[in-house]
Amino acid sequence: MSQTFFLILFIFLLIESRLPQDIYLDYSIALNVEQDMELDYPVTYFFQLDPLIWVTSLISGHQWIKGFGWAFGIVVLTFFFGKIFCGFICPLGTLHHMVSYIRPALKKQNMIHANQKHASQRFKYFLLILFLMAALLGLNLTGLLDPMAFFFRSLSLAVFPGIGTGIKELLNLAAQSDIKILNYISYGGEVFVSPVFGYGYKAFKSAWFIGILFLFILFLNRIRPRFWCRTLCPLGALLGVFARFSILRLEKHSEKCTDCNLCLQSCQGAASPVPGQEWEASECIFCFNCFNACPENAIVFKLGWPPEVSKKPDMGRRAVLGGLLAGLSFPLLGRLDGRLHKVSDARLIRPPGSLPEKDFLKLCQRCGLCMKVCPTNAINPALTEAGMAGFWTPNLIMIQGYCEYTCTLCSGVCPTGAIRKLSGKEKIETPVRIGSAHIDRGRCLPWSGNGSCIVCEELCPTSPKAIRLRQETIRSPDGKEVSVKLPYVDLESCVGCGICEYKCPVKGNPAIRVISAGESRSVRNQILLKL
Amino acid sequence: MNYHPITRRQSIKKLLKISGGLALTGVVTWPLQKTISAWAGSTNKKFIIEGIGQNHQYSVKALARKVFEAAGGIQKFVSKQDVVVIKPNISWARLPDLAATTNPEVLEAVVELCQEAGAKKVRIADHTIHDARRCFAITGAGMVAKKTGADLVYPRSSLMRNMKLRGHRLDVWPVFLPLVEADKVINLPVAKVHSLSGLTLGMKNWIGAVGGRRSALHQDIHLTIVDLAQFFNPTVTLIDATRIMVANGPSGGSRSDVVVLNRLILSDDPVAADAKAAGLFNFRPRDIGFIGLGEKWGLGTTEFQKLRENKVII
Repeated sequence: MSQTFFLILFIFLLIESRLPQDIYLDYSIALNVEQDMELDYPVTYFFQLDPLIWVTSLISGHQWIKGFGWAFGIVVLTFFFGKIFCGFICPLGTLHHMVSYIRPALKKQNMIHANQKHASQRFKYFLLILFLMAALLGLNLTGLLDPMAFFFRSLSLAVFPGIGTGIKELLNLAAQSDIKILNYISYGGEVFVSPVFGYGYKAFKSAWFIGILFLFILFLNRIRPRFWCRTLCPLGALLGVFARFSILRLEKHSEKCTDCNLCLQSCQGAASPVPGQEWEASECIFCFNCFNACPENAIVFKLGWPPEVSKKPDMGRRAVLGGLLAGLSFPLLGRLDGRLHKVSDARLIRPPGSLPEKDFLKLCQRCGLCMKVCPTNAINPALTEAGMAGFWTPNLIMIQGYCEYTCTLCSGVCPTGAIRKLSGKEKIETPVRIGSAHIDRGRCLPWSGNGSCIVCEELCPTSPKAIRLRQETIRSPDGKEVSVKLPYVDLESCVGCGICEYKCPVKGNPAIRVISAGESRSVRNQILLKL
Repeated sequence: MNYHPITRRQSIKKLLKISGGLALTGVVTWPLQKTISAWAGSTNKKFIIEGIGQNHQYSVKALARKVFEAAGGIQKFVSKQDVVVIKPNISWARLPDLAATTNPEVLEAVVELCQEAGAKKVRIADHTIHDARRCFAITGAGMVAKKTGADLVYPRSSLMRNMKLRGHRLDVWPVFLPLVEADKVINLPVAKVHSLSGLTLGMKNWIGAVGGRRSALHQDIHLTIVDLAQFFNPTVTLIDATRIMVANGPSGGSRSDVVVLNRLILSDDPVAADAKAAGLFNFRPRDIGFIGLGEKWGLGTTEFQKLRENKVII
């Protein structure tokens, strides 16, 4: 029940992390100059529930982020009641639970064998220690495998856009048909499909990989039930450390046990529920399957006071040392590409309000919330632009979308504050720059004498415009003198929004392009002396 | 399967029959057509009406109403059970007072007039430049749609259909479907300056009615505008000059770019409407490329004396 509730809540919040729909109901919000468009629902709620995100942000970013009292609450809860979170709240856990429960891949003996505690379960502690150590050295990799970030990213960047694209292809086909009723179905369908799956065809760089990884991790449930929770989940590992003091404990009555092994067959956490073995408090995900399966009532969950320390988490020295070592090396290796200290990639354009790169990497969870919410689909997961350290961090791709001048949705949703909260007024009046445009005169239509065009100037949103036109005479390719309007970029006005690049009629490599130089968040990455 | 290829002789015979039949119908109906057009010509002299709100407390709605009354009433353009599509300019996610988009009050007035005339359905359709959802919300068009019950059409890709425009420059181009699937089309642009075409008025508003590689249209802007204007050919054009953007167009973004004029221009001649509006910016109409070209290609006239000219002041 509670699992279903939280899974549905998670997906609901995920769908709600979009351009708010209530502006269709109350337009006064949109017409109010002082008030910015904000999301109606606290879409960051699940991230604020996540103690791993809280802890890593705390030790890397040294800041207590607003709203993370929830995560603290979860830690306290775990302290008293064990990994209740995994069994009752975690939406990704619920999904694994479902996949493992409906048509299990393994039959009786094989399942019992698969549910024995396995040394590979130490791997999650390795990951936990790696993430904590790396965070301490200023690189927050948690989001790569944190269940909330992983689940949100997978659903919002791969699963939903994938399904949406499929449905839309179908609806488009219906719209093109000559049968009137199919047209109506198509138009009607769009009304329901678009708010859920996004308007237009969504595209995210490397989304195919995010999707395949997600499917692969679901598939692992066929090798062992809740493979992810047992072996990979770093949040589960963190909660496991606190779980040993739990007062909610599994009590075993060996005298009643008939060695039927039904408890082990149903144990999704491989926490040794069989009487005769010591119960693994830090592995138990409190699904209560064993309790329900036992025909003899030989095992029961009971509240025991005073707290009695259960078996300590089986980390293994190798996992601890390996984790420390890896956590030490990743941040150092991640800086070897020189992006932090020497020169950053010109195409690494961060969302408006992003912190300076160094602080950004301390806080960004790569959860994809900003990418999901961007109405123009400009924000994409970075592949190489931000180096290894910034894999899947947000990056604006201006040929795919652009940063709308008055929009501040992404800054409002960032759960950890890697993108600072901006108001529309602040964004425009400061102004917050994310880069600067430059013209490729060899490709530009008027500059190369191939025709007249003013699209970039026309679309430039600043006032006064950052792209200016000057009537000049140039030579066309066949040598004739022509008088055309030539675009010039005024770097002092340009904020790097990228609409010029997005709408430039020169396809392929647009004739006007935006690079990150001039971005407000960096002191070094500047062009002009005066700011 | 039995398959008989048609012989050359047969095909010639068939062709002769068909063309003969066609010629015959042409002969029979020719006088009829002539009388119809003659009759239409005498009573339906085209008009241009300028509405000015001089009173400080004038309402834009009342002005719009008066302007349509001066043209003979909205019933003249919209019949009962018509599907009316209004094409405003709501391309930019800008607040109404920045004059980058059609005044929502004017839009509301026109929607209401259409509804009063008994239109079966009133749709508001524009293929916006900025994200359509934000445009609908911020320009106030969404509010109007909600208040009046008109449909606001989201410009999704499935609504763009390739059509033969038969223009001088554009042949086949994707067109925003609702605008061709309408009984009556009302063009409702806002008057503002434009860096390439000089001004953006009624005829240029049709660039917002097509899909495809729109930004490439600017390479021959005047001719493409005229092509589109000829294809869409609205029932009537109402130019919103309640406030006009005189600098930094067409996107604007500052209140200092805006001049309040309190004017509306209504005409069933798209060229004349634009010509009249060009005067508000102190342009000679023929200096604006697409107005001159539109006149040349016979879309209308810039000589107002050929029209029934009228002024409404409230």
